[in-house]
Amino acid sequence: MQTRSRIHRQLAALNEGTSAIFRVCVRLFFSSIFRWRLGLAIAVVIAGPVAAAEIQALSVTEIAPGIFVHNGVQEEASPANEDAIANIGFIVGDETVAVVDPGGSFAEGHALRAAIRLHTEKPIRYVILTHVHPDHIFGAAAFRGDYPDFIGHVKLAGALAQRGDYYLRRLQGALDEGADGTEVVPPTVPVADRLALDLGNRHLVLRAHRPAHTDNDLTVFDEKTRTFWLSDLLFVDRIPVIDGSLVGWLKQLEELTAISADRAVPGHGPVSVPWPAAAEPERRYLAAVARDTRAAIKAGISIASAYRQVANSERGQWLLFDDNHPRNVTASYKELEWE
Amino acid sequence: MGMTPGILGRAALCLCLIVWALPGSALAERTEEQRAARWADLRHAIFGDRSLQDAGELVVIDVPARAEDAAIVPVAIRVADTLAPEIRGLYLVIDDNPSPLAAHFLLGPAADARELATRVRIDDYTYLHAVAETADGRLYATARFVKAAGGCSAPAGKDQELAQERLGKMKLTLDQRVKPDAPVKTKLLISHPNNSGLQMDQATRNYIPADFIQTLDVTYNGEAVFRLESDIAISEDPSFEFGFRPSDPAASGVIKAEVLDSSQRHFSQSWPVPAAPQM
Repeated sequence: MQTRSRIHRQLAALNEGTSAIFRVCVRLFFSSIFRWRLGLAIAVVIAGPVAAAEIQALSVTEIAPGIFVHNGVQEEASPANEDAIANIGFIVGDETVAVVDPGGSFAEGHALRAAIRLHTEKPIRYVILTHVHPDHIFGAAAFRGDYPDFIGHVKLAGALAQRGDYYLRRLQGALDEGADGTEVVPPTVPVADRLALDLGNRHLVLRAHRPAHTDNDLTVFDEKTRTFWLSDLLFVDRIPVIDGSLVGWLKQLEELTAISADRAVPGHGPVSVPWPAAAEPERRYLAAVARDTRAAIKAGISIASAYRQVANSERGQWLLFDDNHPRNVTASYKELEWE
Repeated sequence: MGMTPGILGRAALCLCLIVWALPGSALAERTEEQRAARWADLRHAIFGDRSLQDAGELVVIDVPARAEDAAIVPVAIRVADTLAPEIRGLYLVIDDNPSPLAAHFLLGPAADARELATRVRIDDYTYLHAVAETADGRLYATARFVKAAGGCSAPAGKDQELAQERLGKMKLTLDQRVKPDAPVKTKLLISHPNNSGLQMDQATRNYIPADFIQTLDVTYNGEAVFRLESDIAISEDPSFEFGFRPSDPAASGVIKAEVLDSSQRHFSQSWPVPAAPQM
């Protein structure tokens, strides 16, 4: 298990050093007339009244002490929702803040940052990227000014190289100018297996997983509140998207549900759900897709028409079923025909 | 019917492609006139001044009208029983793809031309054209419109590690028991990224190199079933469904597939085919 905390303390010391000098200057300037906080407020007003007025903070719910989650809408990306369709948020320690997924666009990332600043002034040291999908990580550029570690699965960089440009163009197509400022931000810290982060009296354990939802899924476990942030390894209400390995995902679910936690954060669905009970509908859907797709392949049914007879019992159980189910079956067919 | 027309065709297509890409790509929806003009250019590039007959019911493209996944669109070309024995070549053209000639199948003596199926990438709402060529040079053309977009630059590889491990491996399934009077229905899978070269790495600003299957030769007991000359339009992990007729169904045999890709890698694999039961 690697630990980043030592390096970070040094980096933090460096950063604090710089900002301490700045603070002293400001304090010297204002101290004769105003108290420090009032001075800072005026400095902000002078520096950027327009920017401050435009940024609306993302709504977040504190699901456990220090864990804040924004509830993504159950829709596809559109100009109206600014691709804020996934559950994203942040975790606050005694010293620093970790973002768990910066959101689906620069605009959402910016709004998440504003939400963080409503709750805490602590430095944002880590931006955790749970997997390659744009609805989770395309807000990363909004945190560049914080100079955080962008942490991702060891395979995330490769996946972004393959897909980032395509995703960006697709987002631009869906959001138009709503995608302005959105960039592909590659991870700076890869996780091959596990990584422990210390936010100050708060330990997070990050785990890199075998191919399941994608081939670069990362989960976050907060030891303090026993909160298991599964991101898109867990879909609730919204139909799961199979973009890694169906067989792998079913296997991962066995391991994941054996982990005891007080609550889980799904990538889509309510911001906090009981664990492992909330995984059951997803497991049932994936198992039905595997069973029926294998049967379709065996019966010589073509890849084009297989979805019509795969997991029909699941129709009506999921939001956005018809938008994603046929593609899930195509992906599963391609995977299972090699068995 | 060798390689030369193919190469000439491809050179002409490149020119055609450049002309098409300049003004057209930013336009929203193409008109029927533009689509017709596009096909006129393409057919000229591929077939020169040869005349194309409307295939009517003789040649049919079977493809979903709206593709569920533009990177994996199943396409079957079917030829009527009456015409099939005469057919020596099948062309699949995806008009509005960056590289429109998706596949050219050259059928050998062991081939059954009645059905050939594969999976393709489709980049934009487009017509698909299939052209069947007889031994004496007649050409039968048919068209289908498909709603699909983004397939050529769509991300490949859901599991990159598995793709590397499995590169070049093939799987062949004989769909039914060998019967003396019927062609053997066969499904061939080839594990290959068949990368289009249209995905840009945002970190390096470089394109991920194209890496695709150029030719596939399928033989039965040394006799050609088909040769495929193909391109980036064939989906990742290419799949082919076809039939072949053993010259002597009473004897067992060997079916062989040989692949040459654009990185000059060569893969080949053979499978036994049991003899048909004696009548």
